[in-house]
Amino acid sequence: MSKIAVKVDDLTVAYNYKPVLWDIDLEIPEGVLMAIVGPNGAGKSTLIKSILGILKPIAGSVSIYGKPYDKQRQKVAYVPQKGSVDWDFPTTALDVVMMGTYGSLGWIKRPGQKEKKAALEALEKVGMLSFKSRQISQLSGGQQQRIFLARALVQNAAIYFMDEPFQGVDASTEIAIINILKALRKAGKTVIVVHHDLQTVPEYFDWVTFLNVKKIATGPVKDIFNDDNLTKTYGINYKVSIQE
Amino acid sequence: MSSAQIEIQLIASIVAVACAIPGTFLVLRKMAMISDAISHSILPGIVIGFFITHNLNSPLLILFAAFTGIITVVLVEYIQKTNLVKEDTAIGLVFPALFSIGVILIAKNANDVHLDVDAVLLGELAFAPFDRLIINGADVGPKSLWIVGSILLITLTLLITFFKELKVSTFDKGLAASLGFSPAIIHYGLMSVSSVTTVGAFDAVGAILVVALMIAPAATAYLLTTDLKKMLVLAVGFGIFSAIMGYWVAHWLDASIAGSITTILGLVFLMVYLFAPSKGIIAVLYREKQQRIEVSLLTFLLHLKNHDELEERHVKHLNEHINWQKVRSKSVLDLAQKNNMIHIENQIVSLTEKGDAFTSKAIDYIITNRDAQIEDMKDDFFLFRG
Ligand SMILES: Nc1ncnc2c1ncn2[C@@H]1O[C@H](COP(=O)(O)OP(=O)(O)O)[C@@H](O)[C@H]1O
Ligand SMILES: [Mg+2]
Repeated sequence: MSKIAVKVDDLTVAYNYKPVLWDIDLEIPEGVLMAIVGPNGAGKSTLIKSILGILKPIAGSVSIYGKPYDKQRQKVAYVPQKGSVDWDFPTTALDVVMMGTYGSLGWIKRPGQKEKKAALEALEKVGMLSFKSRQISQLSGGQQQRIFLARALVQNAAIYFMDEPFQGVDASTEIAIINILKALRKAGKTVIVVHHDLQTVPEYFDWVTFLNVKKIATGPVKDIFNDDNLTKTYGINYKVSIQE
Repeated sequence: MSSAQIEIQLIASIVAVACAIPGTFLVLRKMAMISDAISHSILPGIVIGFFITHNLNSPLLILFAAFTGIITVVLVEYIQKTNLVKEDTAIGLVFPALFSIGVILIAKNANDVHLDVDAVLLGELAFAPFDRLIINGADVGPKSLWIVGSILLITLTLLITFFKELKVSTFDKGLAASLGFSPAIIHYGLMSVSSVTTVGAFDAVGAILVVALMIAPAATAYLLTTDLKKMLVLAVGFGIFSAIMGYWVAHWLDASIAGSITTILGLVFLMVYLFAPSKGIIAVLYREKQQRIEVSLLTFLLHLKNHDELEERHVKHLNEHINWQKVRSKSVLDLAQKNNMIHIENQIVSLTEKGDAFTSKAIDYIITNRDAQIEDMKDDFFLFRG
């Protein structure tokens, strides 16, 4: 078995003392393209935010390649859920992508030519180079998502977390994004995606975690993506298998 | 100009700059109201500081007041976290409470000292030059000038040093946290700067003007640019302009300086709100009207594309069958002709080659919602600019 990229132990997270994630244990092997699935409010975003140290858990711990997140920041990139930023903020596409380089710069040091070049390359990769000077609110939903993806690419991380990257994007952007994610996996990166469309799980991902406040199951899609786990996660009966 | 006049304008301008900088970030963080809260609730801090130091000029007073400012922010956030009330309600609960504590403390204990509520709220810029700073017997200028000057220097240094951190944590808190730039540190840093600025400035210009100087220039600049650095520069510019204009208006009308500056700030905002090139009301209304016409144009072009029959393409048909009024029909025809999309012969309208290609492309865009192929059309048509 390959190395463990992300390990979550007995993680419990609460908002105002109301737990929304209960006692999660999770091991994500290096090099997988993993979907996190579960109904709305299952705690998928919360799980990612806790792994990334954005939220403080009330119990449990998280490690990235065996060390706490604080020590491993440079190894991790994050694409937040689309609604989480202010799209009217006075900034351009290029500027947003440049923000991905801030982590490697640390406090105070400012981005220079090297960072700009990396940002332009990432924009090129997601097919958004011609939009680099566009104010971000003047981009379509799909284009905004590509910008976020470019910002993660520029971080040149080993592990990528994405919260619903396909939300509100058109079919062509979805294909473009999934191709980039598959290329990342090919390059040995670990990619973790909160995903809503159960239909496409077998096609896009090789690993899956079912989550609904507790962890229901985690493992290879071909072994565990079945009606039983779907029913346990979503509560309703999944009569007809949505697998091929 | 007398030296007092120059000093007043200098103080007002420095306060304007010192306020515009944190103000820009407050506006972007949708926290404009918090500056109002801070400016009022620092009163008990000043009073308590005065009881302890017995000296209205003690720098400790500024620290005490700034500390009350931070307490305000913490209290507001605490109440808000209970999810019982919204942020603006929480602000509305906290600052009158703290402010009235301050007023009561003054009324009960400080009757005999110079600390009156009017002066606190409105300030009196005109008197600022009379309160001089004397070092070793030498007059080095008005005390306010030194206070607000030092605050500006600190603010500028912090802004230049932490610009990148401020930007990323304001735009995307989650990213900032995951990159290791603690949004909490930056948040409280900004709140501290806002509190210190408010306290340092309000002695000179009063609480109301401090709030106006923090929010109005930033809100005005926000309407004019899509670049954070330019927004800061514009906000600073509007602040200085209003400070100096306000001073002279007050001079000519023999009115309160703080009041005049606040009025100018409001007027500048109003002008920009109306006339800003893309976010202004007039531009927005114009754009909406254009978009309406363009939708009509597209409807019309599509109609032409779908119908070969002559009677369907008669100019009259526009009014009768598509059910458009004359004005609308005329503006649509004009727009189409101006863009060489149609030609009209004997009252019969037909698509030109260009019109035909345009229609196909536009329909394709509307169906697939794919942007790449219509980039060139965006310059001519509002409809496709998102
Ligand atoms: N900031 C917050 N304060 C309080 N409750 C929250 C907050 N964010 C999320 N929650 C609650 O936590 C639960 C999990 O939310 P989330 O992780 O966003 O779910 P998902 O991403 O799976 O849809 C939901 O019940 C949601 O209402
Ligand atoms: Mg979510």
